[in-house]
Amino acid sequence: MVRQILRKEILENLLSLRFILSLLLAISLFAASGFVFVKRYEKQSQDYWKKINENLTSLSEQSKQLYQLAFYKQGIYKAPRPLTFCVEGFEKSLPDCIRFDAFTSDLPEVRGQGNFVLPHFSDIDWVFIISLILSFVALVFTYDSICGEKEAGTLSLMLAGTVPRYAVLLGKYSAAMLTLGIPLCLGLFVSLIIVISSKEIVISPGEWLKIFTVVLLSFLCLSSFVLLGMFVSSRTAHSANSMVILLLVWVGLVILMPSLGRIASDLSSRNTTQVELHRKLDEASKQISDDADKFGENASSMATDLKSPMNNPPAHARYVTAQMNAKNQVLDEHHREMLAQVSTGRNLACLSPVVIYQRASEAIAGTGINHCVDLRRQIERYQDDLKQYMRGEDAKDPDSLHLIFPEEQCARSWKTISHKPVDFATVPKFQERDLALGQSLKLAIWDIGLLVLFNLVLFAAAFVSFLRYDVR
Amino acid sequence: MIWKIAKKEFLLNLMTFKFTVATIVSIVLTVIFVPILAKDYQQRLKTYHDNITGNEAKIQKVKVYKNITPTMYRPPSVLSVFSGGLEKQLADSATVELDKVPEISAAAAQGNPYQVVFPVFDASLIFKIVIGVLALLVAYDAISGERERGTLKLMLAGATRRYEVLLAKLIAGLMVLVVPVTIVFAIGLIILLSFPLVDLTGSDWLRIGLMYLASLIFVSVMYNMGLLFSCLTRRSAISLVLGLFLWIIFAVVIPNGSVYLAAEARPLESQEKIAGQIAALKQEYENEFYSSRPNQPSISQSDGGGEGGFGHGYNRLVNKAGMDYFRQCNRLEYPLKIKYADKYWEVERRYLNSLREQKNLANSLSRISPISLYEGVFSALAGTDMAAFQRFMDGVRMYRIEILQYVRSKTADFSSSSFFSTCTEQQMAEYEKFLGQIVAQVKQAQNQAEIVRLQQATMEWFKTLADPPNLDLRDCPRFASAPGTLGCLRRAIPDLALLIFGNALFFTVAFAAFVRYDVR
Repeated sequence: MVRQILRKEILENLLSLRFILSLLLAISLFAASGFVFVKRYEKQSQDYWKKINENLTSLSEQSKQLYQLAFYKQGIYKAPRPLTFCVEGFEKSLPDCIRFDAFTSDLPEVRGQGNFVLPHFSDIDWVFIISLILSFVALVFTYDSICGEKEAGTLSLMLAGTVPRYAVLLGKYSAAMLTLGIPLCLGLFVSLIIVISSKEIVISPGEWLKIFTVVLLSFLCLSSFVLLGMFVSSRTAHSANSMVILLLVWVGLVILMPSLGRIASDLSSRNTTQVELHRKLDEASKQISDDADKFGENASSMATDLKSPMNNPPAHARYVTAQMNAKNQVLDEHHREMLAQVSTGRNLACLSPVVIYQRASEAIAGTGINHCVDLRRQIERYQDDLKQYMRGEDAKDPDSLHLIFPEEQCARSWKTISHKPVDFATVPKFQERDLALGQSLKLAIWDIGLLVLFNLVLFAAAFVSFLRYDVR
Repeated sequence: MIWKIAKKEFLLNLMTFKFTVATIVSIVLTVIFVPILAKDYQQRLKTYHDNITGNEAKIQKVKVYKNITPTMYRPPSVLSVFSGGLEKQLADSATVELDKVPEISAAAAQGNPYQVVFPVFDASLIFKIVIGVLALLVAYDAISGERERGTLKLMLAGATRRYEVLLAKLIAGLMVLVVPVTIVFAIGLIILLSFPLVDLTGSDWLRIGLMYLASLIFVSVMYNMGLLFSCLTRRSAISLVLGLFLWIIFAVVIPNGSVYLAAEARPLESQEKIAGQIAALKQEYENEFYSSRPNQPSISQSDGGGEGGFGHGYNRLVNKAGMDYFRQCNRLEYPLKIKYADKYWEVERRYLNSLREQKNLANSLSRISPISLYEGVFSALAGTDMAAFQRFMDGVRMYRIEILQYVRSKTADFSSSSFFSTCTEQQMAEYEKFLGQIVAQVKQAQNQAEIVRLQQATMEWFKTLADPPNLDLRDCPRFASAPGTLGCLRRAIPDLALLIFGNALFFTVAFAAFVRYDVR
């Protein structure tokens, strides 16, 4: 019976104006998104490799003297991710560059920024089209699924027979999902064809799996809207009323809720200004310099002549390292605070399935804030590798004091680090790696769970409402 | 007859579920968000006042003229509660420096750069989305719904003309929509005024009045659009679907798509090229400066070791040769720096102009959508649009010129000692004498400990010197940003006119469609 209802519903839907309109809208948007992505990605990759090569060239010049490698400030940009066509995640406006040497890294900054006077719009990516357009289409398909039949008088006829109510509900749900699946799948297909026909973009098997996961998430997200539509439809007697409620709920979930995140994040904690950050840094450094004697006699002294009795290199190394650690700690804390502020806002906005869907897809595709955080983490690991390498090379030089600490002047005049040249081929180079699917899923697991929960709750609500529905 | 139909329609609509729900939602949103936005404004205003007071305190501490580098702050706009515009996106301060011309910059450097993931929220969203949708919902079945119910042919069977029916429907629709708009404005304003720091001037009231008017014109456009679809279709369900699809195109596709198209159609100047040009200019400056710089004599000097104004240090003591050398250098260096600052700015401005052009193109493209037009009117009236920031920067640049002139006049074109040092003639003589003694003793010193002792003695001597006095800057020009109401109005008028045109267009087409409508 479910199949019969399903067939009838699908045929009815396919012939409707709303289906044709949504199909046209979806396909044209997906195609546009594909074209724009390909064009942008090609440019981004060119820029990225240019910057990376410039960085490598400058780094190779530093390999003439080992100590210079430690103090050279590398500027690493975020690699453009091929999956930005699924979810761009505000990559354009988020910080895209981290500058660092072997001892410390600056806070992520926005450098290769586009036009900052334009409003921060997300790109027209899959997630955008699905969460703003197709979620709306889902409601347009389902707002009259129950109450519309009641108005037409067919609902009482249908239930007069032996058809159980759950079969009707399931039939309608599956029909709505299948009908929605047509513009969605066609759109995704068109977009994918455009993307893979570009020579620049190579999608690895791992990435195909990620794309598949994002598609599954898209169905979960749309399914929650379909269920929401059916729930409201089975709570109202008139389809006009159901439309009104659904429209307002949609506005709330899709448009207001993400904006609410900003307000919540603003209220949760105040931004630390640059002045305050500098004050904190100064305080941390002062605290260490006040206790300079703790690190040994004359720990803070650094006369140019190494033999000067004022100097105590090991103590000075401990002192400067402590200062750098304190500074790094303040910067890390500041970075964590910024992330916490944003995540508070996003957590609150998670009352909307659209926000959950966006966040989960970002985690899977490795874009958005996760990308910045991951880059910072990878850079930290690279710094360790670089220091490790330097220790190894430095040990080979008998002239060096073998004190690797963050003070360039000492490294130069006291030779605390070797001045010998090194083979650039052996120097570790930074290479950004994408997270594996398992790690990405780990990041997204809570959000996926929440989306499933949304679906279950809405299904239960729709089911209970329909059981109690007065079909007359 | 028009009035009779309008009255009937009005009363019918008032009693509908959609009206009640949308009005309640608008009120709830206003009650929740306006206090939050007003609080945020209050916080920003407080920060602004603190900054201004801080500036005044800092200017009192300036010891040398070179250090007059105050940071100018843009007062937050109270109407940003209604339209956030670019207020959170662009930097609201600019520092007046001798060697740099201030320009618009992104706000990310000041706050949390990760917050861009959230869209900006303001009260205009309530009108744009909630009341805009209500207008569509009221209009979609105005004609086709009556036909379905069979009342349309009854109505037109008598002597009632078709234009009367349509006009009456328009009037009734507007009367209905005035209610939530007025309620939201009234509640919003009451909440806003209940905040102690919020103070609305005459100009603000005028702009709020215009915002109210613009909101009415906007909802009327949306209503006319719904009416048009209602006149074009025979079934109200279809007119609703068409209306909603067009709405989503206006609300989502066009505002995003226009930004997109503009970015593709008008690419930005390459930042690397600009950076290259600036680097070349900097090189040119260095060549010019170092080629004309006098030879450096043997200089002994000591800095103040403390604050010399706006976070910069200053030269406390210097010997005669040093003083002469620095004065000569400054006379050469600063006019050159100012000249090159203008050159750098010329280059930077080209980049900023390309940003601006892209933005203007995006704005022009998005003007197809009444929702974007309405947004444009609101941000112009609220003073949170690009032009308002531009105005502020123009003001800061003018102020920089005033400061430059002031410093020039006070320091004889940067050549007097007060430009960089607090050292007087008498102190200079004492310093030279003291240095002479110390140098002689260092030469006779037997061991390292002796030298350290002499170093300490020098430190002690510096400590005995009294703190140099602060400059008297009471006559220094102060920055004042004018509100610029007229400019706001001028910028809002084109979009407002387009909105009115949209009204006329939709209504005319609706009328043409209704005249040929089959009422059976």
